[in-house]
Amino acid sequence: MLITLIRRELLDNLMTFRFAAAVLIMLLLVVANTAVLLRDYERRLASYDAAAQKRRQEVLETKTYSAVRLVAYRPPNPLSIFNVGLDKRLGNTLGVNYLYVPTLWDAGKYGSNNAFLNIFASIDIVFIFQGILSLLALVFAYDALAGERERGTLRLVLTHAVRRGHLLFAKYISAMLCLLMPVVMCFLLVLMMLTTSTSVFLSTDDFLRIGGVIFTSFVYLSLFYLIGLLISAATRRTGTALMIAMFVWGFLVLVYPNMILTAIETDPHTGTETSAYNQIKQIWEEFDRERKQFLANDPVPGEDWDFGLWGDGYSFWGGDDDASKLLYYEITGFHFETLKEESEPQVPHAQNYHRFFGLQVTNTADRTWIVRKPALEMIYVQPAKMERMLLKFSPVGLYDAATEAWVGTDLNGLQDFFTAGQRYQQAVVDYFLDNKIFESRQWFVAAKGEVDWNALPQFSFQRSDIGTNAKRALPDVCLLLLINVILFMIIFLIFVKSEV
Amino acid sequence: MVWHITKRELYDNLNSLRFALTTVLLLALMLTNAIGHLREHPKRMQKYHDAVSGSMARMASHTEDSLYKLAQEGPGKLYKKPSSLYFCAEGGDPVLPDTIEGGSPFGYSEHLRGVWKLKYPDANISMKRVGPDVTQLDWAFVIGYVLSLIALLFTFDAFSGERERGTLRLMFANSVPRHTVLIGKFLGALISVSIPFTLAVLINLLLISTSNAVHLNTEAWERLGIIFLVALLYTCLFLALGLLVSARAQRSAVSLVILLLIWITVVVFMPSTLAAIASEFSPAMSSEPVWKRRNQIQDELWQKYGKWLWSDVVDKETLTGKSEFFTQDADAEERLNREHLIEKVAQVQHARSITRISPATLLQHLLESFAGTGFERHLQFVENAQRYARQLREFVADTDRSDPESLHIIGVREGMTKKGILPESVPKFEDTLSLSQDFNTRATELLLLTLFVMVLLSGAYLAFVRVEV
Repeated sequence: MLITLIRRELLDNLMTFRFAAAVLIMLLLVVANTAVLLRDYERRLASYDAAAQKRRQEVLETKTYSAVRLVAYRPPNPLSIFNVGLDKRLGNTLGVNYLYVPTLWDAGKYGSNNAFLNIFASIDIVFIFQGILSLLALVFAYDALAGERERGTLRLVLTHAVRRGHLLFAKYISAMLCLLMPVVMCFLLVLMMLTTSTSVFLSTDDFLRIGGVIFTSFVYLSLFYLIGLLISAATRRTGTALMIAMFVWGFLVLVYPNMILTAIETDPHTGTETSAYNQIKQIWEEFDRERKQFLANDPVPGEDWDFGLWGDGYSFWGGDDDASKLLYYEITGFHFETLKEESEPQVPHAQNYHRFFGLQVTNTADRTWIVRKPALEMIYVQPAKMERMLLKFSPVGLYDAATEAWVGTDLNGLQDFFTAGQRYQQAVVDYFLDNKIFESRQWFVAAKGEVDWNALPQFSFQRSDIGTNAKRALPDVCLLLLINVILFMIIFLIFVKSEV
Repeated sequence: MVWHITKRELYDNLNSLRFALTTVLLLALMLTNAIGHLREHPKRMQKYHDAVSGSMARMASHTEDSLYKLAQEGPGKLYKKPSSLYFCAEGGDPVLPDTIEGGSPFGYSEHLRGVWKLKYPDANISMKRVGPDVTQLDWAFVIGYVLSLIALLFTFDAFSGERERGTLRLMFANSVPRHTVLIGKFLGALISVSIPFTLAVLINLLLISTSNAVHLNTEAWERLGIIFLVALLYTCLFLALGLLVSARAQRSAVSLVILLLIWITVVVFMPSTLAAIASEFSPAMSSEPVWKRRNQIQDELWQKYGKWLWSDVVDKETLTGKSEFFTQDADAEERLNREHLIEKVAQVQHARSITRISPATLLQHLLESFAGTGFERHLQFVENAQRYARQLREFVADTDRSDPESLHIIGVREGMTKKGILPESVPKFEDTLSLSQDFNTRATELLLLTLFVMVLLSGAYLAFVRVEV
């Protein structure tokens, strides 16, 4: 009996104009956008390769440790085609040095795009699905029960020995089968385009991640179908059902996500920013005092940090002072290609100073990090989490968050890269300290035996494995599923109790 | 007769569920918009005023020092004045730079500093904010997305619904010309949509204008009036579209599905898809060639003027040499900066003109311009800054010329007047906007929107005339 019901519904749905039109529009949009997104990805990948290559070359050409600039580059995520998340927005180059522990907020950008083009909103496949799948589901559902009731066929069907639960279930299954078809077609097309592209390499994990995105899309679709069914079960007339369905759609998809963050302020008004910044500044001032004291007490008279060295080279001094990202440091140093003969006696003093300097500066960096880490968390991450949570009151927010987590373009996924950068920084500092690099002559003078850059730890970054992605996505997916079940139960109760 | 039908439609709509829902939705949106604006705008203005007064103080201290210092350091950062109509259209303003730098003379060595030039900072996406991306809830959003959807919901069953119920046949049984019916329906729907919209707008403006934090002057009210009219025109477009499809479709459900698919494509996806296509296929742009060119010019200038630069002799020839070097170097850099900016702007303009196929983008552009935000406004800011830079340079030259003891060599301390100047006499940067200019630049888009409405209305008429009942 169930099979008969499902077949009837399926044929009913498939033959409709709305189905054909929706499939056509969806396919068109998805194909056009995938082509553009793929091109965009290729461009970003090319500029990543170019930037990383150039940096490697520059490092190899550097002759002293003090002049080297180590940078970690973040490759673009190929799955950002599905949900771009923060992948394009956040910085993708991370300068690594011994002066501070690098974070997301210190990152810069490579690439040579016209930044003014950012005024255009970006688009991805999940964005298309968000709008069109939900609309489609509601259009399929609004007359499922109300329409039959209006036409009187519901009464007819129920005169047979059909259980109401079965009827409901058949309607749900058949409509979902119908709706899944365009979704699967779209994903297959996207996969086809991805696999034929020469620049995208997808691992097994990536296919599983895409599977996660597809599954989440199903659950999202089903959720909106059930919302439509609920409206249909609760109303007497199709006209009313349609009107309510459209306004519900407008509210959940269009209005709520954009309204809630304007309505509720998430910025915490605490003095964390200034107090942490002052603390960090104090730590640096303390370091500076100690440094000056050391210079005053060492055998070389005066507080000069260049020790009167003379030769072919340059000295540099500078720093950063940005209260908004709690970054403060000062740096002084010099780099010599060759050193004049008469400066040679000064070299041991300079080496001695740098031993002290290296030890103290890395220590200072660690101490500022203890203050900086929780403060940054408080200023930037907490409000962001709060915003995310507010958005999750709409299924759209849940869907977006879950797919972002699957493809790894959410904040956690991006933080993985910056954590790797921090680990790399620690490794470099450890290498400097363990091998007594700070006090070596190569720190500031290019020696005959060149610096062995290959011995330096290399930066490597792997996206987190599928297990981690799943763990991050599952709470939201489960929540979506839960809402599905609850909705189905409510619909069942309403439908069973309703009079035909 | 038209009025009769309109009235009938109006009464029909006023009692309907959609009217109630529309009113609630629009009121909620506009209230949120006003609250958000009242919370954010004072902060924005405060930031702007602080920045401007800081910049002014620095310039005044330079002026007090000497005319030379002013000629060397320039005006410092110039700030874009936040529009008081920010709540109408945010227009990508958070992404666009809000300053132009007129300062930072190049330091060739410790004792050798050039003169100031204009630098155009790049647009920036905030890399610090890690929260989710959402559209700003401004009038452009409410009108562009919500109001257009509502317009469709009010018209999708205008004819198909009557046909289903059989009342269309009844109406034609009377001697009513078809165009009268069409106009009556159109006006009825327009008035029914306008009522909740106007109500919401009025409450929004009431909240904003009574607050002390925001000041709306006469020009702002004129701009608001134009924005309101543009919004009505845009609504007409979607009403006409709804009537057109409704006349052609046999059943209202089909009519609605078609309309929704058209709407989501045209309003939601087309602007971003077209922009993505346009910007993806425009060539990549890097600032590296600009820097190369700049270094090359600097090298050439070094060769030409190098002999005077390191000399400490204070005679007219050396000073003129130095001055020419400084000014030419700054000029060259400023010109390169400007050319680079023009290239970037051309790319954006190109992408923007492609997205104009979508009426939603047309509306966005119009609202941005009349609200004094967005890209065109930024270009106006750039223009204002360039004009001011010329003005300031002329002022320096004129002031120097009025002192007969001066050698009239701009850019070197020994060559310029030593007389003090009053800080008040220095021209101040004013970031002004002119409504008539905005109107002129936007005329094409306004006409295009009107054209769309006309085409759709006549389409609806033709479709309705040929309809068989």
